Amino acid sequence: MAKTSNEQTENLSESSAQIASPPNWYKIVYGWLRNAQSSVLAIIGGLLIGALIIALTGENPILGYSELFQGAFSRFNIPSTLNRAAPIVGAALAVSIAFRAGLINLGVEGQLVFGGLTASLVAVTLPAPDYLRLPIALLAGILAGGLYALLSAWFQFRFGVPILISSLLMNYPAIYFASYLVSGPFGEQLSGVAQSPMVPESARLASLVQGSRLNAGAFIILALVFILALVIKRSAAGYELRMRGLNINFARYGGIAVKPLGYKVMLASGMIAGVVGAIEVLGVHYRYIDTALTAPLYAWIGIMAALLSNLNPIGVLLTGLFLSALQTGGYGMERHTDIPRELALVLQAIIIMFVATRGTFRLGTED
Amino acid sequence: MNYHVELRGIVKRFPGVLANDHVDLAVKCGEIRALVGENGAGKSTLMNIIYGLYQPDEGTIYLNGQPLSFSSPLDSIAAGIGMVHQHFMLFPSLTVTENVIYGSEPTHRTLIDRKMGKQRVLELSEAYNLQVDPDRKVSELPVGVQQRVEILKALYRKADLLILDEPTAVLTPQEKDGLFDILRRLVSEGKTIIFITHKLQEVMEISDIATVLRGGKVTANLRTADTSPEEICSHMVGREVLLRVEKKPSQPTETVLTVEDLSVNDQRGVPVLQNASLSVRAGEIVGIAGVAGNGQEGLIQALSGLIKPKTGRIRLSGKDITNTSVAERRAKGMSYIPEDRTGLGLALDTSIIDNLSLGFQREHSSSFGFLRLGLLRERTVNAVQDFGIKTANVEDAVNTLSGGNMQKVVLAREFLHNSPLIIAEQPTRGVDVAAIENIHRNLIAQRDDGHAILLVSADLNEILGLADRIYVIFDGHIVGEMLASEATEYGLGLLMTGVTNEGAKITNIMQGRTNG
Repeated sequence: MAKTSNEQTENLSESSAQIASPPNWYKIVYGWLRNAQSSVLAIIGGLLIGALIIALTGENPILGYSELFQGAFSRFNIPSTLNRAAPIVGAALAVSIAFRAGLINLGVEGQLVFGGLTASLVAVTLPAPDYLRLPIALLAGILAGGLYALLSAWFQFRFGVPILISSLLMNYPAIYFASYLVSGPFGEQLSGVAQSPMVPESARLASLVQGSRLNAGAFIILALVFILALVIKRSAAGYELRMRGLNINFARYGGIAVKPLGYKVMLASGMIAGVVGAIEVLGVHYRYIDTALTAPLYAWIGIMAALLSNLNPIGVLLTGLFLSALQTGGYGMERHTDIPRELALVLQAIIIMFVATRGTFRLGTED
Repeated sequence: MNYHVELRGIVKRFPGVLANDHVDLAVKCGEIRALVGENGAGKSTLMNIIYGLYQPDEGTIYLNGQPLSFSSPLDSIAAGIGMVHQHFMLFPSLTVTENVIYGSEPTHRTLIDRKMGKQRVLELSEAYNLQVDPDRKVSELPVGVQQRVEILKALYRKADLLILDEPTAVLTPQEKDGLFDILRRLVSEGKTIIFITHKLQEVMEISDIATVLRGGKVTANLRTADTSPEEICSHMVGREVLLRVEKKPSQPTETVLTVEDLSVNDQRGVPVLQNASLSVRAGEIVGIAGVAGNGQEGLIQALSGLIKPKTGRIRLSGKDITNTSVAERRAKGMSYIPEDRTGLGLALDTSIIDNLSLGFQREHSSSFGFLRLGLLRERTVNAVQDFGIKTANVEDAVNTLSGGNMQKVVLAREFLHNSPLIIAEQPTRGVDVAAIENIHRNLIAQRDDGHAILLVSADLNEILGLADRIYVIFDGHIVGEMLASEATEYGLGLLMTGVTNEGAKITNIMQGRTNG
C-alpha cells in the first residue's frame, strides 16, 4: 500500500514537473519542424512533380534544377533574388497580419499601388528641405496604403460588404487611378511612357549593391518581419488580434472590441502594403511606372508566401525568399536550358496545391 | 394489430451515454402520438433512428408489419416517412415550389417541369389547407409558413408517417393553432403523426396517446383522454436524485444583480423574454429553471451584453449596465460561463494558456504592451492543477481535451476573474459525471466565497441540488419564484411545462429578504 501511494505521488510530481517546466530548446525546434512540416513536404512534392514534368518534355530535371538554383543563388544573382523577395515578403506580412485577425484582405495590391503612387507624388512635389524629403515621402506612402485599406474595412463594418470582396474590388480603382495620373496630369511630359517624373536624389533609398536594385528598403522589410513576429506572438494587442481570428465570438465574449480592432488591423495591414509600394518607388524605380508594381504580382505571390508559412512572420521570410528564388531562378534555367521559365510558375502552383491539402498531407497521419 | 410503425427493444449508445435503452413504441395508423420527456431523455435520438439518420445498436423497426433497416434518410423517405426538423432544412433564396420539388423534380424531356411542380404544390396545399403560395421565396415567409413548406416537402414525397421535432418551439400561439388544425386535417386523411414536445398543454390538446421518455427508457404510455398533465409530469421528472451536493445554507448579503422589466427580442424581432425581473445577492446561487428555449438564451445574452434588450434595466452592484459593452460589464465584475463552450467560451485551435488568458491580456502585460508570458503560463499551470484539468502540457490546443476538461478551462478562467457576479449557463451539459461533481463543488465554493451566482439549467436535479433560490421561466415569462428548500421537482415541473402558475408554492421572497 505504502509503496503504491509512493509511486502515485512520484507520478504526480513528475507530471506536474512536466507541466511546469518551461519549453526546452529541442521542444521548440520540434515545434517549428512540426509547423513547417506540411510546407516543407509541399515544396518537396512540388519539386518532384516538377521534375516529372521536365523529364516528360525530354529535358534533364537535375540539370534544370541546378540551373534554377544557380539562377537564384549564384553570387551574381542573389541581389536580384533578394530585391524581388523584399516586396513579396512585405506583401506577405500585410496579408498575414490581416488574415491572422480573420480579415481576408485581398486588396494588398491596390494598397501597395496607392502607397507607391503617393510616395512618388510627394517626393516630387513636396516643397521641403532635402533631409525631410525621404522620410516624408515614405510616411505619406505608408499612410496612403493604410487609409486605402481602412476604406475596405469601413465597407465591411458599416455596410456589411465582406472584406474579401470590398478589398478585392478596391484594387481596380487604385490601379487605374494611378494609371490615369501618370499617363496624364502627373505624367512625365515628353517621355511618352506612362510614368511619373523621377524623384529627386534626396528622396531615394540608398542602393546596397552596386549594379543591383537591392536597396535600404530591404532592411525596413526585415525589421518589419521581426516587429510583427514580436507583436503578434508577444503583445496584448497581438493576443487580441489572434483571438479575433481564431474565434470572433470568443473574442467578443471576452470583451475584445472586435470592430475597432478590425479597423486597426486593416489600417496596419494597409500601412505595411503602403511601405512596400513606397520602397519600390523610392528604392527601385525612382518613379511610379504604370504596371511596374502590378505586373510582377507581388501582392498575389505575397498571399502565397503568407499561406505557405501558415501566416507566421518569420516563416514569411523563408517562403517569400523561396518564391522569389523560384522566379529569378526561372530566368537562369531558361537562359541555360531549353526549359521555359514558365515551369517555375507551374512549380509554384503545384506547391500551393500541396499546401492546400494541409492537415491531410502530413507525416504520421493514419487516416 | 395493425401498427403503422412499431419499435421493439431499440438500444442506442453514444460514447459514455445510453441514449435509448430497450425502447418499445407502437403507433397505429391515423394516430397523433406525443413524445414527451426532459432534455436528454432520448426523444430526438429515437426519432432520428426511425428517420434513418442513426442506426440502432439493438432492436428492430417494423413499418406496416414489415421489419426493415434504414441506412439513410433516403430509405425512410422512400418508405413514406417524413420528418420536420426543429431547424428547417430549406433554401431561403429559392421559391416554395423549388424547395418542395428539390431532389425529386418532375421532368419533361429531361428538363425540370416547373409548371407541373407548381401544380402539384398547389394541389397538395389545397388538399390539406396549408395556404402556401408556391411562387413566394422562402426567405420572405414567416416561420409558421416555412414550417408548412417542410410539411409540404414530406407530403410531396408521399409521406404517410410524419415526425415533427418540437414543432411549436418556434411558433407564436396563433401559428400553433394553425399547425394543430393542419395536423388534425392530416390525420383525418389517414396520415400518422409523431410529435416531440415539452409542453404538456399541447400534449393534452392534440395527441391521442402520450409516450413519456426518461433517461432513455419509456416510463409511461398514457391515453390523453384518461390522463392529466400532472400525471404526465410525474412520469417525466419522477426519478431518483443522482447527485447530492453537499452545501451549507446560504448566507446572502447585498444585492449584486438587479434586473427590472427586461424584455428581449431575437434577431427576427420575435419577443423571447418579456418583463422579466429578478435579483441575485452575494453569497447565493439563484437558479433559473425551465425547459430550454423558453427565454433563457435571451436573458443571458442581454445580461452578458451580447445583445441589446428592448426595454428594461440591468444593474450590477448598483451601477446601470443596461447599455454598456461586454468589456465594461466584465470590468465592473461579471463573469460568464456560456452554454456554447466550443462556439463562445473557447478558441479551440489554440493553447490552454491562450484560452485561460482571455480578459487578462491587458492586466498581465508590461507597460510596453507585451504579455508577461511567464506569469500567464504560471497561472495556467496552477489552474490546471487546481481544477484538475487533465492535460500533458498547457501548450496543447484546447481541442485535444475532453468535453469535461474543456468546461473546466472555461470555469477556471471565469473564476480567476474573481467577479462579484458569475453567470453559469448549463455548466454541466454534455459533461461526464466526475466532471459534473467537480463543477458543482467549485460553484458552491465560489458562492461560499461571497460571489453571486446566476445558474441557468434545464436539469432540475442541478437546480434543486445547487440553487438556494429558484425562478421558473416559461414561454418568455418568469412564472414563479421560490426558495429551493420549498421547491419540489413535481411543482417545478408543472411550472416549467406551463401546466400551472400555482402548482408550486410561491414564496414571498421580499419577506424572506427582510428576514435575511
